[in-house]
Amino acid sequence: MSLEEQIRGYVLENYLFTDDQSALNSADSFLEKGILDSTGILEVIYFIEDEFNVKVEDDEMIPENLDSVNQIVAYIGKKQGS
Amino acid sequence: MSVSLLNLLNSAVDNYPENIAVSHKDVSVTYIELWHKVCDLSNYLKKNGLNKGDRVSLLLENSIEYVITYYGILAAGGVVIALNTATKSRDLTRWIRHSDSKWLFVQADHPELLKINNSELNINNILVGNTDIEINNATSWDVIFKSNYQILPELEIQNDDLAAIIYTSGTTGNPKGVMLSHKNLHHNICSILEYLEITNEDSILNVLPFYYSYGNSILHTHIAVGGRIVLENNTLFPKRILKEMEDKKVTGFSGVPSTFALLMNRTKFSDFNLSKLRYMTQAGGAMAPANIDRLKNELSDVKFFVMYGQTEGTARLAYLPPDQLVIKRGSIGKAIPDIKLEVQDIDGNKCPPHVTGEICAKGDNIMLGYWKDPETTKKVICNGWLKTGDLAHYDDDEFIYIDGRSSEMIKSGAHRISPKEIEEVILELDLVSEVAVIGVQDELLGQTIKAVIVPKTDIKINKLQLLSHCKENLANYKVPKIVDFVESLPKTPSGKIKRFMLNKTKIKEYNNV
Repeated sequence: MSLEEQIRGYVLENYLFTDDQSALNSADSFLEKGILDSTGILEVIYFIEDEFNVKVEDDEMIPENLDSVNQIVAYIGKKQGS
Repeated sequence: MSVSLLNLLNSAVDNYPENIAVSHKDVSVTYIELWHKVCDLSNYLKKNGLNKGDRVSLLLENSIEYVITYYGILAAGGVVIALNTATKSRDLTRWIRHSDSKWLFVQADHPELLKINNSELNINNILVGNTDIEINNATSWDVIFKSNYQILPELEIQNDDLAAIIYTSGTTGNPKGVMLSHKNLHHNICSILEYLEITNEDSILNVLPFYYSYGNSILHTHIAVGGRIVLENNTLFPKRILKEMEDKKVTGFSGVPSTFALLMNRTKFSDFNLSKLRYMTQAGGAMAPANIDRLKNELSDVKFFVMYGQTEGTARLAYLPPDQLVIKRGSIGKAIPDIKLEVQDIDGNKCPPHVTGEICAKGDNIMLGYWKDPETTKKVICNGWLKTGDLAHYDDDEFIYIDGRSSEMIKSGAHRISPKEIEEVILELDLVSEVAVIGVQDELLGQTIKAVIVPKTDIKINKLQLLSHCKENLANYKVPKIVDFVESLPKTPSGKIKRFMLNKTKIKEYNNV
């Protein structure tokens, strides 16, 4: 399973309560689409930290890194490559 | 002379016409601009058949349009029904129907708009924002402002005329619509202004929804004095909130306990230049003393007000002065100016110190009653006293401390949630035999929702299917976070569910697929 599929699967299962992949586009903004609330984003961060062994620094908690599946994939890639 | 929020807005327009009233993203509106739009909207409604006392629903996120619409409806003599935007169509249609609203101001991209209009409601829609959506009886927001601004004709408003209805729960049966008069709103706003000392030089970063009484009070207190409201509708990224507070040089910030917990979870107030920040307020449930201490350590010069209130009291009933925060740790303080607040025993007598009773309130801020529900009104307003349902005691100096809630309502973040409402939705699934919903302690939200479910014999329930059904019919914040499947619910001999056991005992997992 690719990184993108894993993250999309997590969001689908825990916030949209479906396994229908078409329910979420990887470019969809969590903020604009109202997919996550403020506690949801913290849970996503814990998921990223636990599953991908990445430490999300406080300064990195910004929409540019975490507001869509695509942005999270890019962020994790950047962290793991650094 | 009659009193209303319009008097307060008028005075702010006269005194500070060029002050910024509301900012949202890159757009701002001054008081004089706001007033012209309010007049346009009011004239439009009247020209199109709105009569005094007619109800008008709003289904809008916090926005400049929300503020224009709210005051425009009041100026036209209408009654504002501000609806919770997170709610799904079943409750929205119920509220619109129950209030007999003739108009609906709605975000054109609201996900429930089509469903609402397919539900045989006879309503005029005013669509805010662009969309390709095509529905009957719809007018674009921009049409309202096409004609040249016209002065508002005089409007006869009586103090006890209905100004707004706030729905506090959906549920089947009777929705609870709190009726607030012009006097209720005016009185409570003036009391709050007295102790928070808000002036035209104040500006607040507002993250709380205006459709709740807390957010509603923030809106009107600032408009009343010519202050500035900076809107931020999302707390998803705490750092962004604090940066916004720094950039906009705000003097005030208000939240519920979870707002502060979220902001402090991954960020530090002290990392930002908040030198203009004068005060913060907290209501909506008890905040952990450790979080208050942390906040005070980081922002020692900022006054921190702990407050207590209820929609039935318009918004605010009590506050703890900042200089008492340490001495009277854990207290909600005393009554706000010009209202009476008492801890009373079951016979309506004032309790002595350290004896638990019910918090009761009396004053011009107490609601007119529940819309179309005189029976429930009689149960909560007795001899002019509002019975809050909250249990509390005095200390020796008559500061009030909350001991518990006598109702089963779940308090999660900024929301008060009826367990019954969630239970009814879950029971719609054929697979479920019994269900009990409770609030369990949560570090961030205060409480989070747990559903304990008894499936029908030999039936396996798919948890995703169950939660998906909840999401379809309930606001997202009402979807249970924890779901347990059990063989039976613990009950008393008379058959009443022992809710306390659902929280405290370890429940045997059953058929959790």
